[in-house]
Amino acid sequence: MTGGPPRADRGLGKSVGRTMLAAVVAVVILAAGATWWQVVDAPSLTGSPDDAANVAAARSVVRGTIRDRAGRVLASTTRDANGEPYRVYASTATTGVIGYASRRYGSAGIERTFDAELTGRRDPDPVQAILDHLDPSRRRTGDDLRTSLSLPLQRLAVSLLGNDRGAVVMLDPRTGEVLVDASTPTYDANTIADPAGDPAYFAKLRTDPTSPLLPRPTLGLYVPGSIFKIVTAIAGLGSEAITPQTTYSQQPPAEKNGLLVDGYRVKDGHHDFTQPKPLALSEATEVSCNIFYALTGLATGGAELVRWAASVGFGGPIPYDLPTETSQVTNGTGSTPGGFTDRVELANAAYGQAEVLATPLQMALVAAAVANGGTIMRPRVVTAVVSPDGNVAERPAEVWLKPFGPDVASPIRDAMTRAVEGRYGRLFTSGAKVPGVLTAGKSGTAEIGGSGEPHSWFIGFAPADHPTIAIAVLVENGGSGASRASPIAGKLMSAYFAQAAQ
Amino acid sequence: MTAAAAVAPRGIARFRPRTRRRELILLAIVTITLGVGGLSLGMQRTGRPTVEGGTLLAIYVLALFAVHVAQSVAGRRTDQALLPTVGMLGGIGLLLMIRLPQDLVTQRFGGIELGLAQLQLAWLCLGLAIIGTLGIVVRSDAWLRLYKYTWAAIGVALLLLVFALGVDENGSRLTLVVGPFSGQPSELLKVVLVIFLAGYLAEYRPLLATERTSIGPLHVPPLPYLLPMLAMVGVSTGIVIIQKDLGAALLFYVIFLVLLYLATGRASWVALGLALGTIASICLYFLFPTVQERVAIWLDPFADPLGSGFQIVQALHAFARGGLFGVGLGAGLPEIAGRLPIPAVHTDFPLAALGEELGLAGVLAILALFLVVVARGLRIAAAAADTFRALLAAGLAIVVGAQAFVIAAGDLKLIPLTGITLPFISYGGSSLLVNSVVVGLLLALSDRGIEPPPPPRTRGAIMRPLRRSRG
Repeated sequence: MTGGPPRADRGLGKSVGRTMLAAVVAVVILAAGATWWQVVDAPSLTGSPDDAANVAAARSVVRGTIRDRAGRVLASTTRDANGEPYRVYASTATTGVIGYASRRYGSAGIERTFDAELTGRRDPDPVQAILDHLDPSRRRTGDDLRTSLSLPLQRLAVSLLGNDRGAVVMLDPRTGEVLVDASTPTYDANTIADPAGDPAYFAKLRTDPTSPLLPRPTLGLYVPGSIFKIVTAIAGLGSEAITPQTTYSQQPPAEKNGLLVDGYRVKDGHHDFTQPKPLALSEATEVSCNIFYALTGLATGGAELVRWAASVGFGGPIPYDLPTETSQVTNGTGSTPGGFTDRVELANAAYGQAEVLATPLQMALVAAAVANGGTIMRPRVVTAVVSPDGNVAERPAEVWLKPFGPDVASPIRDAMTRAVEGRYGRLFTSGAKVPGVLTAGKSGTAEIGGSGEPHSWFIGFAPADHPTIAIAVLVENGGSGASRASPIAGKLMSAYFAQAAQ
Repeated sequence: MTAAAAVAPRGIARFRPRTRRRELILLAIVTITLGVGGLSLGMQRTGRPTVEGGTLLAIYVLALFAVHVAQSVAGRRTDQALLPTVGMLGGIGLLLMIRLPQDLVTQRFGGIELGLAQLQLAWLCLGLAIIGTLGIVVRSDAWLRLYKYTWAAIGVALLLLVFALGVDENGSRLTLVVGPFSGQPSELLKVVLVIFLAGYLAEYRPLLATERTSIGPLHVPPLPYLLPMLAMVGVSTGIVIIQKDLGAALLFYVIFLVLLYLATGRASWVALGLALGTIASICLYFLFPTVQERVAIWLDPFADPLGSGFQIVQALHAFARGGLFGVGLGAGLPEIAGRLPIPAVHTDFPLAALGEELGLAGVLAILALFLVVVARGLRIAAAAADTFRALLAAGLAIVVGAQAFVIAAGDLKLIPLTGITLPFISYGGSSLLVNSVVVGLLLALSDRGIEPPPPPRTRGAIMRPLRRSRG
């Protein structure tokens, strides 16, 4: 360009080049973002029941029917005055687990987890699935779900919990089939699902201080108290820190004045039953001796306690049919092994206080692990998906965890049997015994600090020698384990065996 | 290099027509693309091969060609890629507006009520008129170069006017209403800011490059020379922040940093500026609850998918439904109970709607078009005759590029969402007209026949002439 105007001053050309480079980088960043949402993360977004396309399609799709283990209808579909389908539920007792599906408020529970199946969006045949995706109007009627729930037991659990807030989980330890997943207070899913229902009802539920919308068995986190001793026993025996015969000479004197751990006294509440003779695993479990378990926790060590708790499901989500909260042994903020702040926290955690928090489902699985000889089956509610043309896709039983063997399970099973059937055990867990059936279990009275009544807990299984049912009962602020949770467990297991006998 | 050639009288010769072949070819491609788009939309809507909104698209394409013909007749040697590129972006926006429910925006002019697409077409045609006029008429940049403080004053005055007389909309006072028209003057301030900064930085560039202020061992920019500029940037950013127009504030700051870098070539100053900007952002976070809310929504919109996170969650779902190639124009966005799933889709989320219907391919194409606008602008800057013109061209290109980035990144949840428009695509008069001014000025600056810059003035002893005096 000779003769043209002079070029820009020195330096600008290079800066312009770099600015262009920055613009290219900016576009690459945007392209990466778009690729993430449109390709990488797209399947999970488009598969969600919240996706606008699915919400629109679901308005016209007839959702499948949900049934209990005996074929009783739990949720079905009917049509409103405009011919648009909506959901009807058989009982308020199942709302915690079945949830709801509503045009206005979305979905929860099994209705949400299995939304794709219930609306026929997930076709088992991949070719059909692609065709369905390309043309949503092709979508079939929804699939039906067969569950392992027992409506009568579910109803009984809710009525036994009564006006208390609480949770019951009952499952078959051999298969992982859940018979009862109950949460109180319940709510009326019909009012939520009915297009003509009271629009203020859902808002009221959301702000209700008793949190009726919280599925307590899976998302409620509670201090477990003494029922956690079963986990400590598993850790002690599993890590070979103790044997079933291990005793501690400092235990009997500590019953009176408390156990001195690094200057802090770990006290026990019920030393009246203990004798001058040191207790071993079985007797200590029968009288629920805090000192024995504090010493076992210290002997096992923080790292091993956390590791063995994780082996039965603590510290991570449970692969259940509903979302689960993560149970914990400690906050993990401390610097000692396992994340405990100090040995005092470890000693208190060993009998289920300190920072231990667990969901009722997690504690039911602890009982199931002992009952099933150390093998935990994956817990599930939905046992089969049945398509409208009658194709049944079974969801078979599968092993989830295999943390220990009969060498650990047997002594704990004996100890838990003694805790229900034994001379002193009966004083704690009076109501849990199933008449005529050898019953094993452990009650818990979880101190929650402040002036609140403790949480009342029971976990157990029966028959103790060849268990077919495992249970966890929690009553929020229900007082001692003996007074509230144990009798509920006893009545529910009795009802289970009465049904099985028929 | 003689001055005689540069200042040769042009007289009647400046109206010698020239063919603009490249522009013509590119516009033909734009026409075909928009036609296919309209046909695709018509097929989807009616099931028959019709062109949806055919009249509106035809008027738009005619307007594009009118600008082309006017430039050819005027014989300007301006950039030939800019008009087709922004024409394509505007056309895509028009297609989207044709596709959306027309009652989303309506306005009465006398007895006629205009819907969304008709209004957008009116703004687009006005914008094209501005582009054509500026591209043809502006033959000198002296009016921008010489009165930078006047421009700065006008800009700030406009903002203050909005502050005093503006109308509150969505919790921010951004809109000025005059008769039947309403506009957002902060849009115009972007351009004014670029003109001011280009003028100021060009004048003080030699000083900024050599002088330093030392505080102990730390070399910082020569503060006395920076102060007027910092004051201008501070005032404009401050006012829009008070008006809660955080997108505009972010945009102003990005423009400032890029121009500072271009003028000085110092990456360290940009780093310093980014650090200060980060500190300011943190202060804003604690000062304004709206900022905290925006950041919370950005971090986890899925925490409240039916409440505060609704808009962005629905947008992300729309992107996801689009996948690689989209569901097709007109096939996306299922209306639920008569409502669109994404609120403010026509102003804040056109990219999500296009992402759903045109897929990742469409989104990448749109991003590429914006990159072309920036690249052409920077090319014009690199070829410019002097620093002011270079900074002005680069700054104008950055106005479009940075705005597209800020809103696109917000739509894609890469940064917190700020309610600014996607240039040339979003619905909105102010934005379209101001971005048209930007493109019109870029066209004028790109002309090889534009009046050469005046020789640098001598300024005391500090500022020596950069070139040999020309005779």
